Amino acid sequence: MKRFKKIAVYTSLALLPVLANSCTNLDEKAYDTLLTNNFYNNKNEVVSAVLRPYTHANAWITPGQSGWWRLSELSGDQLAWPQKGRHGYDNGQWIRLHYHTWTVDESTVLNCWNLLWTGLGFCNDAIGNIEGRDAAKMGLTQVEKDGFTGELRLLRAFHYLRLMDIYGNIPIVTTVGEPVSPETKPRAEVFSFIEKEIKDNIDKSPNLSKALLGRMSKAGGYAMLAELYLNAEKWSGTARWDDCIAACDALINNTAGGMNGALALDTNLTDTYKPSNDLSKEIIFSIAYDYIISNFSPQWPGDFYHFNQGQINGNPINGNDGVVVIPGVYTTFEDADKRKKEWLLIGPQWKYGSADTIPVICSGGNEYDGKQLVFVDNIRKNAQGSTVSDMTQGEENSGVRFNKYRLGPLTDPNYRSCDWAVYRLSWIYFVKAEAIMRKNGGVATQEAVDLVNTIKKRAYSAADWPAHAYTTTTLTMDELLAELGREFIFEGYRRQELIRFGKYTTNTWWDHKPSEAYRELFPIPRTQLQLNANLKQNDGYPN
Amino acid sequence: MKRRLVFLSRICLHSIWMLFLSMLAFSQSRTITGKVVEAGGQSPLPGVTVQVKGATIGTQTRIDGSYSLNVPGGSVTLVFTFVGYKTTEMPVGSSNTVNVSLTADVTALKDVVVVGYGTQKKQEVTSAITSIEPTDFRQSGARNALDLIQGKVAGLQITRTGGSNPNTSPAIQLRGVTSLTGSMSPLIVIDGIPGGNLDLLQQDDIASISVLKDGSAAAIYGTQANGGVIIVTTKKGTKGPARVTYNNYFRKEYKARLPKFLTADEYAAKIADGEINATDKGYRTDFVDLLVNHNNLTQNHNLAISGGGEQSNYRASVYYLNQEGILKANERQQYGGRLSITSKGLNDRLTSQFNLATNFNKANLLTDGGNLQGYYTFNPTYSPYNPDGSWYFEQTSTNELARLHQQTDIRQQQTTSGDARVSLDVAKGLKASIFGSVTRDSYLEGGYADLLSELSVENYDSTGYAFQSTFLNVRYAVEPTLEYNITVNKNHNFTAIGGYSYRYEVEQYFDANNYGFVNDIFQENNLGAGNMLLTGKAGMSSYKNDNKLIAFFGRINYNYKDKYMASVILRHEGSSRFGANNKWGNFPALSVGWNMRDEPFMQDVTFLDDLKLRAGYGVTGNSGINNYSSLVTMGTGGNYINPDGVWRQTYGPNKNPNPNLKWEKKSEYNIGVDFSFFKGRITGAVDVYKRVTKDLLENVTTQLPPFVTNSIYANVGQVSSKGVEITLSGSPVRTRDFSWNIDMAFSNSKNTLDRYSNELYTIKYQSYADIGGYGALGNAIRTYEGDRIGNFYGKRFAGLTDSGDWLFYKADGTKAPADQLDSEKDFAVIGNAVPKVYLSFTNTFKYKNFDLRAFFRGKFGYNILNTMEMFYGSKASLPSNVLKTAFTKNGKITGGYQYSDYYIEKGNFMKLDELTLGYTVPFKSKKTFQSMRLYVTASNLWLITKYTGNDPDYVRDTGLKPGVDALNASDDRTPYMGTRGFMFGLNVGF
Repeated sequence: MKRFKKIAVYTSLALLPVLANSCTNLDEKAYDTLLTNNFYNNKNEVVSAVLRPYTHANAWITPGQSGWWRLSELSGDQLAWPQKGRHGYDNGQWIRLHYHTWTVDESTVLNCWNLLWTGLGFCNDAIGNIEGRDAAKMGLTQVEKDGFTGELRLLRAFHYLRLMDIYGNIPIVTTVGEPVSPETKPRAEVFSFIEKEIKDNIDKSPNLSKALLGRMSKAGGYAMLAELYLNAEKWSGTARWDDCIAACDALINNTAGGMNGALALDTNLTDTYKPSNDLSKEIIFSIAYDYIISNFSPQWPGDFYHFNQGQINGNPINGNDGVVVIPGVYTTFEDADKRKKEWLLIGPQWKYGSADTIPVICSGGNEYDGKQLVFVDNIRKNAQGSTVSDMTQGEENSGVRFNKYRLGPLTDPNYRSCDWAVYRLSWIYFVKAEAIMRKNGGVATQEAVDLVNTIKKRAYSAADWPAHAYTTTTLTMDELLAELGREFIFEGYRRQELIRFGKYTTNTWWDHKPSEAYRELFPIPRTQLQLNANLKQNDGYPN
Repeated sequence: MKRRLVFLSRICLHSIWMLFLSMLAFSQSRTITGKVVEAGGQSPLPGVTVQVKGATIGTQTRIDGSYSLNVPGGSVTLVFTFVGYKTTEMPVGSSNTVNVSLTADVTALKDVVVVGYGTQKKQEVTSAITSIEPTDFRQSGARNALDLIQGKVAGLQITRTGGSNPNTSPAIQLRGVTSLTGSMSPLIVIDGIPGGNLDLLQQDDIASISVLKDGSAAAIYGTQANGGVIIVTTKKGTKGPARVTYNNYFRKEYKARLPKFLTADEYAAKIADGEINATDKGYRTDFVDLLVNHNNLTQNHNLAISGGGEQSNYRASVYYLNQEGILKANERQQYGGRLSITSKGLNDRLTSQFNLATNFNKANLLTDGGNLQGYYTFNPTYSPYNPDGSWYFEQTSTNELARLHQQTDIRQQQTTSGDARVSLDVAKGLKASIFGSVTRDSYLEGGYADLLSELSVENYDSTGYAFQSTFLNVRYAVEPTLEYNITVNKNHNFTAIGGYSYRYEVEQYFDANNYGFVNDIFQENNLGAGNMLLTGKAGMSSYKNDNKLIAFFGRINYNYKDKYMASVILRHEGSSRFGANNKWGNFPALSVGWNMRDEPFMQDVTFLDDLKLRAGYGVTGNSGINNYSSLVTMGTGGNYINPDGVWRQTYGPNKNPNPNLKWEKKSEYNIGVDFSFFKGRITGAVDVYKRVTKDLLENVTTQLPPFVTNSIYANVGQVSSKGVEITLSGSPVRTRDFSWNIDMAFSNSKNTLDRYSNELYTIKYQSYADIGGYGALGNAIRTYEGDRIGNFYGKRFAGLTDSGDWLFYKADGTKAPADQLDSEKDFAVIGNAVPKVYLSFTNTFKYKNFDLRAFFRGKFGYNILNTMEMFYGSKASLPSNVLKTAFTKNGKITGGYQYSDYYIEKGNFMKLDELTLGYTVPFKSKKTFQSMRLYVTASNLWLITKYTGNDPDYVRDTGLKPGVDALNASDDRTPYMGTRGFMFGLNVGF
């Protein structure tokens, strides 16, 4: 018995230290994840954080996700995503965008908010971390550090610009997490903040050069100012036509650098959109892609391409058969206008490289399964002989299709690498022309006509051109809006244009009827209103 | 004939006894004769062992229950023992006749129940624990050890959402949903290994499965016990000569309850008369049938040997199991073994036990049932081949048959566990033990698509596609314990256990893929030979993460005269996964029991054998969340071009920090009663419970701005469930040749989502169950605070327009087309996907050596969204092939896909899940064969339901996204083909 007690005591003593010592340590070790508190220690890490908002901008500024682009184009008079048989109803979200009947709970509206503010958060996070650290400790020179923060502040201003465009009155936040519930600022105040941020940082930012492909630069800064002042009357209540013209001139006069030598107009209709459009002379700011080297490729085929589209293009990229050109838009292009054939797709479709001999056959069990794919300039159930045309009456081949940007065939060395131009010089020409005309009481001057004609001329043969050139009489404001539509179709600016021309909520197009004036702004998503009591809903929308 | 065999075997056995006895007989002995009968029924009991107490003299009763035995002179006592009856002693008086009636002993077989960290006598148990023995196992050839107890435990839902796919595991849920984003499955403990791997369990190696249902029992497992605990004990060796058992079964499966699509002829006829606008290519193909493996055969073999001596015993088993699914390229071949050694030393004070189990399996994962939809709907006038014999490909569909011929996907997995427990009796009543275990799970998966396969042609430029991946998960556990047992003042018995638990889990993964091959020779065996490494299109990824779980735990059981019992548990546990401010939590439990049968005032209630009241309260937690959940990390954002022209990875914050992340905590009350009436003719248990789980973790939406991402992982929610569970067994007939037993399990529960909000965050509702497929119909289920889990939320059908377009009710009662409905105002709760009642019952008949078992299982009071009907019961899907109902019941509908109550159906069903007929061969001599049983089983033989979709039994009824019939693989659903199985099996003992 005595011996038992001894053993008991020894066992207990042996167990005690086991229980008391290091065996209660629950610290975590991350093996495959970077922890935020141990980053920005060298230049590569800094650059990787500076570039994060750009890959994210792909999500909201290009077609393919519910960001700025979809809200801006699918609510306009050129493009729509109609239901096509069993495809594309998608909870009615595209239909409501088209009819201007979106609600405060609309997922497209919420998603755009989230995408833009997250991108802005990436900017804020990187700005805060880089500005708060010693340049040397990050392996940077002071010049490099200032260049990065200048660029990031311009890029942040760009996010604010587009947020203001969509939602109007928004909070201004420059530090991650502070304050927890930021308050809504009136649009004019946001306007001033953006203007100041651009002006304060434009000279700290580097000139546009090949090294800044896909990046914000001084040139991008001027383009932002041009956009800001062009819409200033609507956004801040005060017209700024001279400031607008000055910003355009800074670019037209080539004071802020260019990506391929001096900034200049591309001389044809394809250089700006082809797979190797990083060689374009007119692109000021773009989202850069390179599928071949980096696997980063455009997301827009999902929105634009038919289920069998790859066969047309000689590659395997198909889409969701989503966005089409609204009936009637196609015929606003004259037959002599080369953009009509070059940028739009209509009629029977043929396999790539077959010289229109092998048809593209529809597959997948939709309306034209087993038959040739033929895009038509109408949205109705032709297979059933119906003539009813509205957003729910589409078929898989309904509507004229997007063909502006090109992925190229598989064999193209720049396959799937065409960059998405956010700002291009042609647009600056139009901005300046419009500013001049508006300054002139809505009447064209010869300077404005020359600016527009310079761009339009590219779309016509030398023989056709004289008959189609604008004069100060023919270039009315309505004609300017129509020509803006033709030149910049698919590029995301339609809503802005319609609002500036006072047509967004008052015009009728196809089956769209005029909507309420407050629809010029999208609502603040209800989800966020409920979380943040300091947010204010836009006029006209319920809280 | 059979009867004679029995008789002969008895005679034979009897003669051996007699021979044995006569050698020991004393000269002054006398002969006692008598008859043994069953108490109550008075039916004779043959085969009862009659022995003289304290001597080795004995005999067995004959067929009519009579015996005669030579006993020594003087006063002797006879001991009558018979399995299933109470051992009875009878002193022999002057009379030479001793007649005895034996009383059935209902607790004799199942008197020990496995609980956490130990065992308890059944009558001492104070919480809700159900223990299932092999004889009660569901017998249809388990694909997973838990299939064995499907429908057998009231309150435990085991749902085979993947049907009879051998490569899927069932969804398991005990007493409702307890978490929103964390683990909801019970903790599996195998022979003490926490988080044991079910692949290591073979049906024939399991001795018992014990389910700890309520918190008062499960609290000893602390933070992994919210989903309940299932403790599996494997068979061990016992003292005696080597015994060999061999078990096998063969199973074949047949198609059952396929959706009724137009046949090729019907489809062609509709093209001809203009109802379908499509091209008739002239073929008549039953596409789905091309995927069926008509020659499927599953076979299982298990060989075990066991035995032991005074100091040690052993059991070893090996098995081979080859499962072939109803679909081609859907197989699982496994083999392995289990070894158990127990030995005693140091004058029996040191006990060591070692277990080693391993499983090698090779799974063909090419088919998972996801390929069915495409073939159901394919134009049946097409052929899978082109006229020249090559495969027919088109870009928007997959030629599933070609895929089976041109692609491979094989996973070779090995799982091994080893554990050891060494216990030392330190002093009287004091035992110190240490337990350690390692479970190692690893696999190598590889697949290849031929150069000319559709995948390669359409996506990889006809250059093939190869991948390999490897996975390794290792779990360690070390658990020293001290047990102390003391009886104070004779009647106060205390059993206490205290321990420490350290667990560590680490997981690693690697995969690589490549294409650009010149021929099909290498397949996935020479990944580097593909061209795409040069161009950067080859893929590669890996991960590694780990976590720790540390606990101190203790339990004290108190027992007064087996009448009053109490149990107290406390576990103090910490997990690395939680926020710096909340790593540790406490999980207490208390339960009490009262055996009323032993009270004096109950003595007159003669029909009562047993009556025990139980009550318990326990707190458990859930640490089943992702590793590193509370850390703030940088996420990759894709490559972007650097100033030097090189494309590099970008990084940005991808999580909002939450240093307060803490345990989900469940507190549960359970009140129960165990009873036995009429000498075991009716036994059962009733349990009533209420459980509330607080601080549920959910990704909640944060203010955006100012944060970078719009969600934070935070403790916000609360779910609760309450219910009743009844287990009943009865023996309506119990005679010598014929017996009939009924076992029934019933449960009824209500599971609600009480809250999504805390003081910081508010969520009005959460949506679940993405419908998937065409038209992006969104989520089928929306749960508002306070709602029952599993509410279908959507449009209410209000008829069709003249042209066949949909109309739905708006909130104000008017009818409107779909796009005019506001999902916040006009949508409504249109059904619920969680069954209110689960009911199963087993009828077991035994006639002489034959046994017949019929197991029925059903679910009641719930709805299912018939996705098959929604997508393909409509002409909107033409010219894809459609269900016949597109032209009959739904013939008027012309509108596109709409999710509404039109497609919500009642899911109620009852099925004959298992029907087994067995025959036990009676051997004359047991020299070679100890036992032999042959049986045939039919599974899923008969289904009664009004549901018109797939077999409702396969529809998920657990978790937060139940009730959507699995048509596509959206949202973790696993479509498969309904089957009916027929099995033949043999059990032999040597």
